[in-house]
Amino acid sequence: MRGIAKSMMTTLSVFLRPPVTRDYPNVHKALPERDRAFPLLLWDQEIDEPFCTGCHACERACPVECMTVLMKDNPNHKSVGGTSSRRKIIDKFWIDYARCMRCNICVEVCNFDAIAMNNTWSGHEMSVHDRKDLVMDLQQLTTQSHSGQIKEWVPVLGKANEESAS
Amino acid sequence: MVTESAHEFETQDLLLNVGPQHPSTHGVFRMVMQVDGEVVRDIIPYIGYLHRGAEKLCETMDYRQGIGFMDRTEYLAAMNAELSYVMAVEKLAELEVPDRAQWIRMILVELNRLASHLMFMGAFGIDVGVFGTPFIYAWREREAIIDLFEEISGDRMMYAYLRPGGLAWDVPTNFVARCREVLTAVNQGIADFDGLLTKNEIFVARTQGIGYISAADAIDFGMSGPSIRASGVPLDVRREEPYLKYNEIKWDVITETDGDVYARYLCRLGEMRESVKIVEQCLEQLQPGAIMPEKMPRMLRTPPGEVYIRTEAPRGEFGVYMVSKGGNRPYRLKVRSACLSNLQALKHMSVGQYVADAIIVLGSIDIVLSEVDR
Amino acid sequence: MPEGLFGLNPWLDGLIRLLLIVGLMTVVAMGLIYIERKVLGRFHARVGPQRTGPFGLLQSVADALKLIGKEDLRPRNADPWTFEFGPYMVFIPIFMGFVVQPFMAGFGVRVLDLGILYFVAVSSVSIVGWVMAGWGSDNRYAMIGGMRAAAQAISYELPFVLSLLSVSMLAGTLNINEIVLAQWQVPNIVWQPLAFVIFFIAALAELNRPPFDIPVGESEVVGGPFVEYSGIRWSMFFLGEYASLFIMSVLISALFLGGYEWPFGTQLGIGFQLLLTVVKAAILIFLIIWVRASVPRLRIDQLMGYAWKILLPLSLVQVLVNGFVLVYHLPLPVLTVAGVGGIVLLSWLTERAIRKPRAARASAIALQSEAAS
Repeated sequence: MRGIAKSMMTTLSVFLRPPVTRDYPNVHKALPERDRAFPLLLWDQEIDEPFCTGCHACERACPVECMTVLMKDNPNHKSVGGTSSRRKIIDKFWIDYARCMRCNICVEVCNFDAIAMNNTWSGHEMSVHDRKDLVMDLQQLTTQSHSGQIKEWVPVLGKANEESAS
Repeated sequence: MVTESAHEFETQDLLLNVGPQHPSTHGVFRMVMQVDGEVVRDIIPYIGYLHRGAEKLCETMDYRQGIGFMDRTEYLAAMNAELSYVMAVEKLAELEVPDRAQWIRMILVELNRLASHLMFMGAFGIDVGVFGTPFIYAWREREAIIDLFEEISGDRMMYAYLRPGGLAWDVPTNFVARCREVLTAVNQGIADFDGLLTKNEIFVARTQGIGYISAADAIDFGMSGPSIRASGVPLDVRREEPYLKYNEIKWDVITETDGDVYARYLCRLGEMRESVKIVEQCLEQLQPGAIMPEKMPRMLRTPPGEVYIRTEAPRGEFGVYMVSKGGNRPYRLKVRSACLSNLQALKHMSVGQYVADAIIVLGSIDIVLSEVDR
Repeated sequence: MPEGLFGLNPWLDGLIRLLLIVGLMTVVAMGLIYIERKVLGRFHARVGPQRTGPFGLLQSVADALKLIGKEDLRPRNADPWTFEFGPYMVFIPIFMGFVVQPFMAGFGVRVLDLGILYFVAVSSVSIVGWVMAGWGSDNRYAMIGGMRAAAQAISYELPFVLSLLSVSMLAGTLNINEIVLAQWQVPNIVWQPLAFVIFFIAALAELNRPPFDIPVGESEVVGGPFVEYSGIRWSMFFLGEYASLFIMSVLISALFLGGYEWPFGTQLGIGFQLLLTVVKAAILIFLIIWVRASVPRLRIDQLMGYAWKILLPLSLVQVLVNGFVLVYHLPLPVLTVAGVGGIVLLSWLTERAIRKPRAARASAIALQSEAAS
């Protein structure tokens, strides 16, 4: 029975260590900067419009086809007396979060750095009663960036860290 | 010689349906056991409950999009699955992977092997009947590894981090220090498992001599990974066909000779220790540098050809057979799943044992149903 | 016949005491469920229930409410009478076992002269309920579980009773209260360590606690006889399980650890005696939970082999040694030495019996080839 005694000493030593439970809904662990929840559209604070021009790059690259993008002529373009240099701008944008598999490809293909993965807890705690509520429209997608709630992390693809390269 | 007529009563074997919703089937595996009292006379396994057509899906995706589906093919060791896939693409496209990327890949793959083996220890402990203890211990250390992966790739299970040619982006600057922290935690976990299970008389009694498979039979069934190494066959793809940098560091192929459930357990425990050693050596080798080849095209296209790449995933040989007819997507993708091959031996190993033993034999093969069904 | 509690008619008095204890018992069982979850949580490096009430104290209450509110399902093919009465057959004998439990001097429900005999007789009835539940559910897992329960109970009844016998030999009585009082100097565990170990192991098997939770093994038969039960009937099994855990702990503390008597005597008042009994029982319960967190489940043939081949002979030897010592008036420390020697022998036999890999492998190969032919 020495082996059983050894097992019991092992469990006792764990008993005396502090528990490792994270008290989840009360205490949220700090998410790393690179955390990937669901894609969000970023907001150009200087010109006060989304970065997205509706170029369909992400829509085409999405492996699960969860995006729908429509573009329009930018009413705020310089040619019509506005302040923006974007000739075209996003008109309607839907992302079906229930379909999204969070592969990060939309972020990587975007030429304008207009889309980023939500790296806050708001992107993870998204349970709803109806899956239709997970289809996000343009307004829902841009709110968080517009109000500055997220600090986006756009990956620098295929490049070594500056610190490690030096 | 006892004939049928010598029995006073006619007895009938009981058909016991185990799964697809059963605590010990590790997912949605179903088997119908023909039991005579408590002794298993026959086992009919049914697979396919988790079939998603991942191979076919990958044929409609370009090479980058396919990575995400490889994660989901083997969700407990996603890095290993990605590795086979990206290595296949690299071989087709004749890409040269920079050293730094190779070392980081090795670290990640071995860490994922640790996470997967920890998962085995936990699930197997539950199968054997320790109420929850090993499962939570396993979860504790796996959590440390997964947190590290989250800091690197951004996701906890579906990393999509390895890319044809190298890595998607570089690891964080505190990577080495964090790895060492994780290894310390894992060492503690291994010690806990060792203390909890290895010498425990009941555990030994439950596992030794159970589910025996000889080396010859294991080869015939096409088993691989720890399941075959426990039968005394030193088959390890990392040693047979060294990929990455496995031939530049010192490590041992862990083999056991008994070929029973206990040997498979010991084999995995030993491999965890080896993995820790491998990661420590890799961390010393890690040098600054590029993580992708110099000239990567924006859209990867491969010349026509076909290639078979195999790597040593935690459960055995994870192979990817890829045919390209040019263009940016594979014409045919076939995943050689270690779990599926290992599962073939289930009937051979568990017929004639008790019901409780059949359960732990299934646990000792350590199947991941998404890899079996794909 | 003891004095009535309030000078009442002895029947009425007995009824009041019984109701008191049954009511208390339900609360104790709920408390035990909470304690087990908390303690097991710490063994698992978790924290256990903590959301319901302060420190999760109301968790058991919430669970009980949920179970009462749940629909009482019965499978269509189940045998209605066996299915419905299975839980009662488990539940009632366990509570009947309470009648002889010595909590304080002179305050049990009844002090029976054949207390141990009564307890053994009553406690083994509950196995009928297990088999009824297993058979009546019309579920193959339940049936396997019920058969396992029967096999296990039959095997472990013998070492259980024999180790009880060795204690009562020493005290010269079957009255539990008198056995407790006989330990005023030295608790029985000192004279009978081997009997204590055997009794503890057999009690684990009687309680279906790990490593002997074979009838309910979640990973194999998914709860065994309970698999089809839900709601209040299922909670009866659960309540019975924890009530019997408490009973068994009180019994062990009375028989081997000196109950309310040792080490302070009976002069200290009833409340203190109760406290002493409960503290001793609590230590045993902690030990049982600790074992649960640490050991895997045995297999049914190993379990029976262990009972018949190791525990039974050793407990017979214990009875024999007791007989020699008592008849020839040898000094009692001889018993301690013999007992410790017996424990070493038991441990050695356990390790030896369990490690037979070569033979086991040979038999496995034989079975395989038999299956292949």
